[in-house]
Amino acid sequence: MSDPSPAKPDLHLDFSGVSKSFGGALALDGASLAVRRGTVHGIVGQNGAGKSTLIKILAGLHKPDAGTLLVDGVSQPHLTPALAEELGIHFIHQDRLLVRSFTVGEALFLGREPRLPGTPFLDRRRMQREADAVINRYFGLSIPNGRLISELSTAERQIVQITRALIGKPAVLVFDEPTAALVRREADLLFGLIRRLRDEGITILYISHYLNEIEALCDDVTVLRNGRTVAALPVANTSARDLARLMIDADLKELFPVRTIARGETVLEVDALSLKGRYEDVSLTLVKGEVLGITGLLGSGAKEFVRTLFGLEAASSGEIRVRGQRVKSLKPPDAIGRQLALVPEDRRGQGVALDLSVAENTTLSSLGRFSRFSFLARRAEKAAVQALIQRLQVKTSGPDALLGTLSGGNQQKVAIAKWLSAQSEIYLLDEPTVGVDVGSKAEIYALINELAEKGAAVIVLSSDLPELIGLSDRILVFFRGQVIRELSAASVTPDQLLAEATGSHIREELAHVG
Amino acid sequence: MSVEAIDLTLDLPQADAPKAQNGGPLAANLLRAGSLLVFALVFLFFSATAPFFLTVGNIGNVIGQSAVLGVLSIGLTLVLVSGGPNVVTGGIDLSLAANAGLSAVVYALIIQAGYSDAVAILGALATGTAIGAVNAIAVVVIGIVPLLSTIAVMNVVAGVDLVLTQNTVIPASSDVLTLLSSGSLFTIPALGIVFILFAIAAALVLQFTPLGLRLYATGEFPEAAKAAGLPVRRLTAFSYVAAGFCGGLAGILSVAYLSGTSTGSGEMLLPVVVTALLGTIFSRRLVPTIPGTVLSTLFVGFLVNGFQLLNLSSTLVSGVQGLLILLVVSATTLLRKEEI
Repeated sequence: MSDPSPAKPDLHLDFSGVSKSFGGALALDGASLAVRRGTVHGIVGQNGAGKSTLIKILAGLHKPDAGTLLVDGVSQPHLTPALAEELGIHFIHQDRLLVRSFTVGEALFLGREPRLPGTPFLDRRRMQREADAVINRYFGLSIPNGRLISELSTAERQIVQITRALIGKPAVLVFDEPTAALVRREADLLFGLIRRLRDEGITILYISHYLNEIEALCDDVTVLRNGRTVAALPVANTSARDLARLMIDADLKELFPVRTIARGETVLEVDALSLKGRYEDVSLTLVKGEVLGITGLLGSGAKEFVRTLFGLEAASSGEIRVRGQRVKSLKPPDAIGRQLALVPEDRRGQGVALDLSVAENTTLSSLGRFSRFSFLARRAEKAAVQALIQRLQVKTSGPDALLGTLSGGNQQKVAIAKWLSAQSEIYLLDEPTVGVDVGSKAEIYALINELAEKGAAVIVLSSDLPELIGLSDRILVFFRGQVIRELSAASVTPDQLLAEATGSHIREELAHVG
Repeated sequence: MSVEAIDLTLDLPQADAPKAQNGGPLAANLLRAGSLLVFALVFLFFSATAPFFLTVGNIGNVIGQSAVLGVLSIGLTLVLVSGGPNVVTGGIDLSLAANAGLSAVVYALIIQAGYSDAVAILGALATGTAIGAVNAIAVVVIGIVPLLSTIAVMNVVAGVDLVLTQNTVIPASSDVLTLLSSGSLFTIPALGIVFILFAIAAALVLQFTPLGLRLYATGEFPEAAKAAGLPVRRLTAFSYVAAGFCGGLAGILSVAYLSGTSTGSGEMLLPVVVTALLGTIFSRRLVPTIPGTVLSTLFVGFLVNGFQLLNLSSTLVSGVQGLLILLVVSATTLLRKEEI
């Protein structure tokens, strides 16, 4: 297990120099992955580190731009989904790929349906029998075969997905964030199963944000960062803390300007806000001139919380007060009316309109200011936009350039400019630098600082932890629906923060108790 | 390293509790029960008010009269299955009625030109299938939204129809046509028999073969179908070609029914869409099925027949059909929304 250079024939999967870019953005940059046969191999990395791209290449869904893929020592330059399945590589996808209107039997056998001997017809009875046998053997339970996928619970659906893979007699089984939607008892069941499958000789790839899971379950682990493999080592020689440190890019510190804090009056108060099944009992206050950081894994409720503040989700209980005024049933127009601004993570889908010009995008939320008798005052609009473009240093050929022609970072500046033009005072920034190059990042950081200095209140939701620490005054950590920590940005390190967000603390607390 | 003690997940109350799953199926059951009730009420109303409605002869007649509609609706059902439940971006073939019209014209012209029934049948089926292939290319290869591409094809097909017929009825008679229009078995006209046999064949394929299951997967959740290694594009293309074939067959049946071509084949469009969409209500999973489509074909058939027997205007029938589309589509759309 601790052999640093395992003999090649021992490797079930051996990827090296794998690169892949999407529209200019480099997702994988010479990554490697070496998985020993019959082991549980963890893959960790922050959002955007390249995990899912690597997995999709293994699935044959993406074709790498460069690199060699060895499966069982054989080079596979043209991997397709069908070929991957032929090689015995099966996937338990995060977003349960099951047809909702299918019965359990149909979902299990789709694509390899047994037929009644000598006929072209489905052998439904055999489908049922085999499904029952496999589910019973591995899970010791039975899911009534006639039930529809839409009638199953999340855990039952996952069981169906795993069973589907097992029926294919897999050699490699890939789990992509399998516990994200499971409660603890179900996750324990899953871990027992994974160990059993490994003992039967199946090679397991395990992708998770939860470092303590990696620690408890995996034999080896590969750490990805910015599309590169930064470490590949036996889990026995490492710890969750070490992994967290490896995952984080530490050279970004100098990007963050120092801000002179001038705290003003309270602008936003949230009291015991809950959204059923997403987050519960979240309270906070936000004052003028403050940057509040929020972080949490996918499914931690952090994103839903921020969306609630802009009226995109309806809280099930609790209270939001803007400038002391209680807001009942907040909707986005009310939020805008109260000078709230949201810059969403999905920039292309929600933040900006790529087919409109820079000017049109900038004034989209503040057209009232540029209208005379319901007609647009184009000249006033243009002048205002020109001023904003200069202030934000947006690199564009002019206000009339289509937004789609700008780089990601400059698009994001326009997304923020839209709210500056609307004279917003409370900014909700969801992953403000996702898909943005380093240079533009620094400019966006400077812009956020400037906003705060001029008296705006800012909430930054980010999974880029050095960024969050560099920007924020204090940071709230969401974990499985609750705010589990409030930390001062001045005294926390990225790996501490990551350990909090990934649940390592729980392990330690329990260790203290017993 | 140790592999005991896995302290990863806290039970967050209600966070991951399985969602109450009863809402969807229950509402679906109510919808189905309600529509069956309406079916029964309409049936009762006509049997009480319309003379001859509930006679064996009339029922046989309705089956025969519904043959063209039924075969076209089966074609549309295939497209709906492989295209998915989204009414706007999902599968639809609006060219089917025009397809049947042109296929009928081809059949009649070949007979008039003195060729045999076999040649005419082949010609009509080839015409229908070719139109289906054009749809398949537009939707799958070029990637035009089916709603748009098939309405464009519908116009082209109707235009060719006009050029060939000069907007006149082309009469046709042959042995096969005579057999189809006047033959009968157990008081069911031959046209009805053809419809029933074709429906059984289609049901066997769609409900009982791997191909059928794969078509459903393609429409309902293309990503899942792709992950299962299915040739999603080819399956979608197949459904349009098969629907085109149905258009050709329906064309032959309509020549037999009318003893010639019709200048108003396009009027069949609305009933076909109604029938195929209404059919989804008769399935447990609220998906299009062949048995569901056959049931709704008969429902629409009896509705038209009842109106005729009561001497009510046929324009009223169109109104009712339009209303039915709105009801069915809104009901299934709302149900699906609730599910997600």
